[in-house]
Amino acid sequence: MNRLCDVEPRVMDDEMLKLAVGEQGPRDEAGQLAKQEGILFKDVLSLQLDFQNILRIDNLWQFENLRKLQLDNNIIEKIEGLENLTHLVWLDLSFNNIEAIEGLDTLVNLEDLSLFNNRISKIDSLDALVKLQVLSLGNNQIGNMTNIIYLRRFKDLRTLSLSGNPVAEAEDYRTFICAYLPDLVYLDFQRIDDHMKELAEMKHQCSVDELKHQESLMQAQLEEEQARWEELEGHKAAFVEHLNGPFLFDSMYAEDVEGSQLSHLPGVGELVQTYKDKFVIICLNIFKFGMKQQEKRKAELDTFMGCVQEAIQEKQEQGKHEIAKFEEKHLLTLSSIRDESELTNFEIKMAEHSENITELVNVLMTLEMQLVEQLEETINMFERNIIDLVGLFVENVQSLMAQCRDLENHHHEKLLEIAISTREKIVKGELDEDLPDAVRALFVDKDTIVNAVGASHDIHLLKIDNREDELVTRVNSWRAHLVDKIHKDEIMRNRRRMKEINQYVDHVQSELDSLEYSDLLD
Amino acid sequence: MLVAPSWSEVGHSECIYSSYRDLISRQSETQQMEVLKEKVEEEEEAERAEQAERAERAKKMMRPMEVRKEDTTRTQEMLRDLERKLSEIEVSIPEKPSTFTKDAIDTSKLPLSYQSNTPKEEHLLQVADNFSRQYSHLCPDRVPLFLYPVNECSVPKFVSTTIRPTLMPYPELYNWDTCAQFVSDFLSAVPLPDPLKPPSYLYSSTTVLKYQEGNCFDFSTLLCSMLLGAGYDAYCVYGYGSQDLCHMDLTREVCPLTVKPKEMVKEEEKAPPKKYAVKPPRDLTSRFEREQEIKRQEGVKAEEEKRLKQGERLAEQESAKTDPLHGLRVHSWVLVLSGKREVPESFFIDPFTARSYSTQDDHFLGIESLWNHKNYWVNMQDCWNCCKDLVFDLGDPVRWEYLLLETDKPLLSLTEEEDDGMNDDDDVENLGKEDEDKSFDMPCSWVEQIEISPEAFETRCPNGKKVIQYKRARLEKWAPYLNNNGLVCRLTTYEDLQCTKILEIKEWFQNRKDMLELKHINKVTGLNIDYFKPGHPQALRAHSYTSMQPEMDRVMEFYETARVDGLIKREETPRTMTEYYQGRPDLLSYRHVNFGPRIKKLSLNSAESNPRPVVKITERFSRNPAKPADEDVAERVFLLLDERIQLRYHCREDHLTASKREFLWRTEGDSKGNKIIMTPDMCLSFEVEPMEHTKKLLYQYEAMMKLKNEEKLARHQAWESELEVLEILKLREEEEAAHVLTISIYDTKRNEKSKEYREAMERMMLEEHLWQAEAQLDYLAPFLAQLPPGEKLTRWQAVRLKDECLSDFKQRLIDKANLIQARFEKVLPGPWQGRGPQRPQPENGPRAVCSPSQTCEGLIGAGGGCQCLGCPDDRVVLPHTCSLGGRVDGGREGVVGGWMEPYNSS
Repeated sequence: MNRLCDVEPRVMDDEMLKLAVGEQGPRDEAGQLAKQEGILFKDVLSLQLDFQNILRIDNLWQFENLRKLQLDNNIIEKIEGLENLTHLVWLDLSFNNIEAIEGLDTLVNLEDLSLFNNRISKIDSLDALVKLQVLSLGNNQIGNMTNIIYLRRFKDLRTLSLSGNPVAEAEDYRTFICAYLPDLVYLDFQRIDDHMKELAEMKHQCSVDELKHQESLMQAQLEEEQARWEELEGHKAAFVEHLNGPFLFDSMYAEDVEGSQLSHLPGVGELVQTYKDKFVIICLNIFKFGMKQQEKRKAELDTFMGCVQEAIQEKQEQGKHEIAKFEEKHLLTLSSIRDESELTNFEIKMAEHSENITELVNVLMTLEMQLVEQLEETINMFERNIIDLVGLFVENVQSLMAQCRDLENHHHEKLLEIAISTREKIVKGELDEDLPDAVRALFVDKDTIVNAVGASHDIHLLKIDNREDELVTRVNSWRAHLVDKIHKDEIMRNRRRMKEINQYVDHVQSELDSLEYSDLLD
Repeated sequence: MLVAPSWSEVGHSECIYSSYRDLISRQSETQQMEVLKEKVEEEEEAERAEQAERAERAKKMMRPMEVRKEDTTRTQEMLRDLERKLSEIEVSIPEKPSTFTKDAIDTSKLPLSYQSNTPKEEHLLQVADNFSRQYSHLCPDRVPLFLYPVNECSVPKFVSTTIRPTLMPYPELYNWDTCAQFVSDFLSAVPLPDPLKPPSYLYSSTTVLKYQEGNCFDFSTLLCSMLLGAGYDAYCVYGYGSQDLCHMDLTREVCPLTVKPKEMVKEEEKAPPKKYAVKPPRDLTSRFEREQEIKRQEGVKAEEEKRLKQGERLAEQESAKTDPLHGLRVHSWVLVLSGKREVPESFFIDPFTARSYSTQDDHFLGIESLWNHKNYWVNMQDCWNCCKDLVFDLGDPVRWEYLLLETDKPLLSLTEEEDDGMNDDDDVENLGKEDEDKSFDMPCSWVEQIEISPEAFETRCPNGKKVIQYKRARLEKWAPYLNNNGLVCRLTTYEDLQCTKILEIKEWFQNRKDMLELKHINKVTGLNIDYFKPGHPQALRAHSYTSMQPEMDRVMEFYETARVDGLIKREETPRTMTEYYQGRPDLLSYRHVNFGPRIKKLSLNSAESNPRPVVKITERFSRNPAKPADEDVAERVFLLLDERIQLRYHCREDHLTASKREFLWRTEGDSKGNKIIMTPDMCLSFEVEPMEHTKKLLYQYEAMMKLKNEEKLARHQAWESELEVLEILKLREEEEAAHVLTISIYDTKRNEKSKEYREAMERMMLEEHLWQAEAQLDYLAPFLAQLPPGEKLTRWQAVRLKDECLSDFKQRLIDKANLIQARFEKVLPGPWQGRGPQRPQPENGPRAVCSPSQTCEGLIGAGGGCQCLGCPDDRVVLPHTCSLGGRVDGGREGVVGGWMEPYNSS
């Protein structure tokens, strides 16, 4: 580790990398070729940089496609600069001075990691390495047995080495690991035999079971959360989230101070309760209707997409067929032209084939034009239908929302009545019940109480309006986006196809022309 | 032509008579038909007198002696003429008289029910007789019913009781088609003694099965019994059939095996056009012109077909002579009514040929009566139009006159209400029914259960062989294992009706070691196709060839799952070899190899391996979804002579064109003599997306090197394939020469090995048992156990052992006797108490009876199990007294018992 401290550390510069790449590149004839044209860093798959006294990992960002990297026997102190090497499968950092595992979060494809003979004291920050199979952590300073439990999350881990750590000196070191990592096959370069596994299982069964139970609980919780989240997403896609319960109603009262104060009045509690029940029923209706409509829209979209795909596929098959036919002819003609010795015949054939090419272009273009026309019509039809669907949805929701508003108005009137009668009672001093001071304060005069009830009413209406507006704007923007995207996709598809046809025809033409030139040269 | 056996039985004069009757009936046939028609049209009352007269005429026909007397003058000449003609005709009398005559049947072993009638049966016969008399009175113009023919013991039996519904234990016989096929295969058909009359006898199925012979009535009785047993609603029918039907003549029928199964035109359910399906591009061709063209073509086709048909019809008419006895030939077949066993529609089965016919078929010309095991029905409907107008509603008493009143038959269906009004007044039909005992039902069948032994079931046909002649085809069947090459069926198809030119031969095999199933030989093209079942050592599925020589046209198909390389098919022509693969890890699906002409080698010593030079190898691959389409090779062509490799990649999903690459290499150096490694013009490529990849020369060089290796491999593969073909051909020839048959391990009869093994096992078991019994008796065992095992005893040891054993035995006996005595004294109060035991004197001979004073109890207590010999029944009876003593078996101490005399051993 620190045996080389007196040696001057080197910097990973371009020169060093080039040298390494050149040395480790292809040999013999291929090597000559490589030398001729040079090797791009991004084509390198494997790189070996051992015994170079490197202190800092640097300049590796160009090696995008690197699969295997060896940096062993250096004096590296920190894992860094590996963020771009996402394709890395094998990483060797043994015999360095690393103190903590870090900087590996992007290496999702890593299968083999060696950190042998470093100064690591804790296993962590390996969460991203889901494919890890081999982990070498020997000769480090890992002292805590519980660190091993962290390794349970790597389902593919088969080989582990931890010898030379303080932890390995513990008495039940092997059994502990075997029990907690039952899928492990090799530990410290030895195969774990079945006997050992049984022993370990017996010894640690209790604690392992407990751990498993906890893990499964966690897992279940996670899944539940996931399911809930997905459900909410589904509702959001239908634009009716939080309408399948009293959420809207509760939100109406959440910011409504006066409303909650007024609910203390006699009779208001029941009134609010019935109001709530009715309101929730309407909300549920909206929700159900929204989900149904969402399904309808989805089915509509699916059939549309399916039909479009079918049409495209059909034309594509036709086009492929045409090209295959042409290709056959093309090859035959080329060889016959090549064999032709007489100039006049040669020219005639050339001209004939040029015509063939033009014909192919025409056929392909016709197919494409047909397709464009057909698709345009279909897309327009779909657009009309989807607008209708969305319109229907909005209309219905609005009418349901209007019912909500009616309810609110009705409720408001009732509430006002109660408030006024209560006020009268208070004035007359007939009120039996005790009211909180804040509520009593509202009844100082008639205007205050009327205002308070009015304010509550306004807040409620505002909430309802907001919800409605949100729904309508969102559904409309969704519709606009969808239609826009379909149009755009179609245009892009058309352009790509045009480009492809042109390119192919150019290629064919150039093949023909090259014959001409070569013959002229002869 | 009349049927030969009937001639052999009757005398010469009768012979003439029957042919004469033939003549008359030919005349009367047309008359009869007319009569039937008239009867429908005219009023019954008005016709009565006429009818009687006609009936008389009919009777006269039946009694030809009278007819002869009447018409002697007219027919004298005719007769002479006939006689002359007849003498010219050579009648081939069967050399061996049919064994199936009454005398040949051994009736002695048949059970009692065959030889006599129960009172109930007698009653039934009376009822039937009564019915028959009424019937002949009411319908004097109809032939007598087939009600109670005699059986093999000359006892009259009612036909319904001859049917014995039996469910066969073979699952193959559960369905009507296989059942009928079995009956037709198992029995050989004998024509009726008189083709115009039902036979006077009807044998039980037991006898019929035993002799494997029978006439159509025997056939249909057996088949009906089996079908009823299997749950079908089946009936025996007595009626009239065409000549072909009665003579089991299939030469005018097309063999069912040659009829190609009609290709089920898959009516692809056209999915209803989806909402957004694109509109098809406008069709700009003229519809009128197209229609005209179609019309023209159809006309031409129709013309052609007409011509073909005409030719065929002419040829057929020539061969088919009109039958003089048409409509009079008696036949019996089976009717299966719809309803039970999910039979959707009623149909006939001809038991001779096992073919099913619709009830409208032209072969069936009329029905007299039908019966099953429960009842008997007489057809009251008119058969002028064959069986086409018959209604098989047996509950309708107007159409079907029943013999026994039954409750479980469906009554007249309500749809035919208009008939009711018409038939209200004719009580004549129901006459006699009232006086019958209404509760009378059919007695049980007198026939034993039908039994077919497994051997007989497997052999099927009599002597295991059967030949059927069809129109332009001949079918031969054999029992399995009869032919030593496993041949079970052969179908020969001919080109012409006379069956002289063979078109093709199909041979079916069974139990072949090489799994050969079907051999198809086309004589016209010379093409042979062998089909194999799974399990051939080379996984062969089919092999079609014209000659067994290598490098000729041939196609081999394989069971690809059984092969490591996933080969499905290999086609060969003299110059090419094409292989199709499936399910390979490298996704190779097709390889085509072109061979060049063989180079003549001068050195003869290496003549064996002189492979043809490979000119071109084409390989195609399926799409590998793990790779991007631009790197996934779809096709590669190695042009070995040009040193050129062409690659075509797979097409991207949304693209029309695919990338291509072509490698050319030059072995010669450049102008300076340096070796060229790689230059850009050695690799021509077309990229679909040229901007995505910038392939360097290095990459191309590496690709080329890899392809060169692949080329070598491909060549090697081609060579190996050739070798394999040779190997298979050799193997096939060996198999053909050896034709080994396999025997299933479940076939206990034939499988010698398993039989031996089983017997050996049984022997072993027996020996083991004996040895165990012996070992139990080995009283030396406890002493031998003291010595080291497996060593031979010295003489001294043996002697000592013997002494020890004997002394031990003696000691034990003494001990026991003492014990017995002690107990005896203690337990038994009695006359000898205090005086000690005293031997009782046997009073009557050596075998003494038990006396109350002695007991075996002591013996039991001492020795464990004991058997008293004194008592007549040698059971172990516990508190028990006897005088003789007992046998002590392996006692508590492990000593094997001996004999003991009571009380005196001490």
